[in-house]
Amino acid sequence: MISNYTAIEGQSFRYWILLGILGGFFLLGFGAFVYMEVYGHGVSNMNNQVVWGAPHVFAISLLVMASGALNLASMATVFAAKHYKQFRRFSAFLAIVLLAGGLTVLLLDLGRPDRLLLTMIHMNFRSMFTWNVFLYTGFIVLCFLYLWSMFEHEKYVKIAGSAAFAGRLILTTGTGSIFGVIHAREVFHSAITAPTFIAVSLTSGTSICLLLLVATFRYTGRDMDMRLIHGMRNMLTFFTLLVFYLFVVEKFTKYYSPAFYEVEGWILAGPYSGLYWGGVILLGLFAPLAILFNPRMSNKISGIMTAAFLSILGEFAFVAHVLIAGQAYPLQLFPGHEVSSLFLDGQSAVYSPSFVELLLGLGGVALAGILYLLGIRFFRLLPKKAVAPEDWHPWNP
Amino acid sequence: MTMDRRTVLGMGGAAAVGVLLAPGVQLIAAPPNETAAANAHRWAMLVDITKCNPACTACIDACRKENNIPLFGDPARDIHWIRKVEVQDKERQRPPFTLPVLCNHCEYPPCVHVCPTSASFVRKDGIVLVDEHRCIGCRYCMIACPYKARSLVYFPTKPPKDGNPQVPIRAKGVVEKCTFCVHRVDDGQPPACVETCQQSGHAAMMFGDLNDPQSEISQRVKTLRTETIRPDLGLKPHVHYQGL
Repeated sequence: MISNYTAIEGQSFRYWILLGILGGFFLLGFGAFVYMEVYGHGVSNMNNQVVWGAPHVFAISLLVMASGALNLASMATVFAAKHYKQFRRFSAFLAIVLLAGGLTVLLLDLGRPDRLLLTMIHMNFRSMFTWNVFLYTGFIVLCFLYLWSMFEHEKYVKIAGSAAFAGRLILTTGTGSIFGVIHAREVFHSAITAPTFIAVSLTSGTSICLLLLVATFRYTGRDMDMRLIHGMRNMLTFFTLLVFYLFVVEKFTKYYSPAFYEVEGWILAGPYSGLYWGGVILLGLFAPLAILFNPRMSNKISGIMTAAFLSILGEFAFVAHVLIAGQAYPLQLFPGHEVSSLFLDGQSAVYSPSFVELLLGLGGVALAGILYLLGIRFFRLLPKKAVAPEDWHPWNP
Repeated sequence: MTMDRRTVLGMGGAAAVGVLLAPGVQLIAAPPNETAAANAHRWAMLVDITKCNPACTACIDACRKENNIPLFGDPARDIHWIRKVEVQDKERQRPPFTLPVLCNHCEYPPCVHVCPTSASFVRKDGIVLVDEHRCIGCRYCMIACPYKARSLVYFPTKPPKDGNPQVPIRAKGVVEKCTFCVHRVDDGQPPACVETCQQSGHAAMMFGDLNDPQSEISQRVKTLRTETIRPDLGLKPHVHYQGL
């Protein structure tokens, strides 16, 4: 069923151009970091109310997507969907490179990145951030073990793949819990925040796998059985429905409690409602679902790719909404009262990303892209030809 | 050309394992976080808001001078250790009132809880401080603080000409906040804001040791109806308000 794995030649003009463009963005991102490092975070649009801005949106989106990118490998190893076995290497490698891109942005946005070593020598184990340091590095270790077993020792694949699968669930729980455990912020604080992050990781991870697999196979002249794409489309459909379900449960729970009326009203009609309705709900949820449930569009590559792309935009919008709206909603010093001060108490924060922040975030995306391009060039990550068993037919809408 | 995948994967895995294990090894070697403060004291502040004049900014001005706090001219990025907040109930049943808001030096401070490097810590006498040499500027403490008591230093700063040499000049990229004027407290003096409030004639602010049953603050907190901001969060703040 599975043909031999091969690295791509990587000698084409298109390959070098793509590498050059991504390299350019990476250098711009690095330049943005140096600029912010020299002049301080004042060159960004972050402030004392929105202290985590666009770089965090990029970083966390990449980290969440990294966790989801492993899903394709898990389908083969943990859930025995054997026809996806041929994408396991690609999937595990992609998880590592996305994680590397996201972590780089996160680290370079620190106020004092020169003190990074301190995070390793003075640890506070009550902090969710400290746990995340272990979760991120642990996930990378597990992905490397998984890859190693795939390359060298197939007999360890199930255990390594299962550990990586558990690792990705814990990782995304940790990422979602950075927000969900914060009691002081009404928009963040929820037991359902972490599961929602897991569901969003499944949609965005599947989407990035779809986009990269189709593009890589097309531009390297490899064959892919369309049924494999349809299978991934079905995963994306059900993962998107899972996100929809969790969104509904969250709103249902919040609207059952009068204490949340004010903040929920602010989310749905306040200054960031455009991001919520337009980005999260329309682009990230309804538009992909409309495409995925349309028999004509969902059977075409272009339709599936559009839905996948929209899901990724939706993921970024979701993370942006959680982060920015979560911070912009004024802290309730005296619930039920109006407050004001020179420190902008009681006011919704105004935030839009600066050019520097966007460049830093895009630098992380470019780094992940560069590592992916180098990975498929130097490692045998993808099959020459991706085929599915004759008797396997994924469900069609 | 393809690299020897066994070597590359092995090196990558070993590096990742190293990154994972190194912190644990270092953790064993790290010294405990010790301070010279005694747990015999529990410093706290009491603000009588019925005496706080809405037009008075003496506490803010004194704090800025005492702690070399610059003004950048950007309200969203200026550093505020203490600020005056105007409060009005939405039904307009009570007249509006003002009160100074600062770090509440909580008994269970969420900022300390979330700080990954333990740069935020509580002294034995209850004063919550930031070790600015250990702060990495991740800003998680700012997210976790319900009092908006912390500020990131967004711009490079210079020592003021007539600055207070007892207070170190802040570095860009770290988070800072009210220290209860710890340098003064350790010298047996009240924080600058409290001293100035007393001198201004309003005498709305009081500072003292809650563990000393004879102290005025201890007596007043016991006998008068005092409240804290957001007691529902369970943080046990140590800035008390009278007349709230």
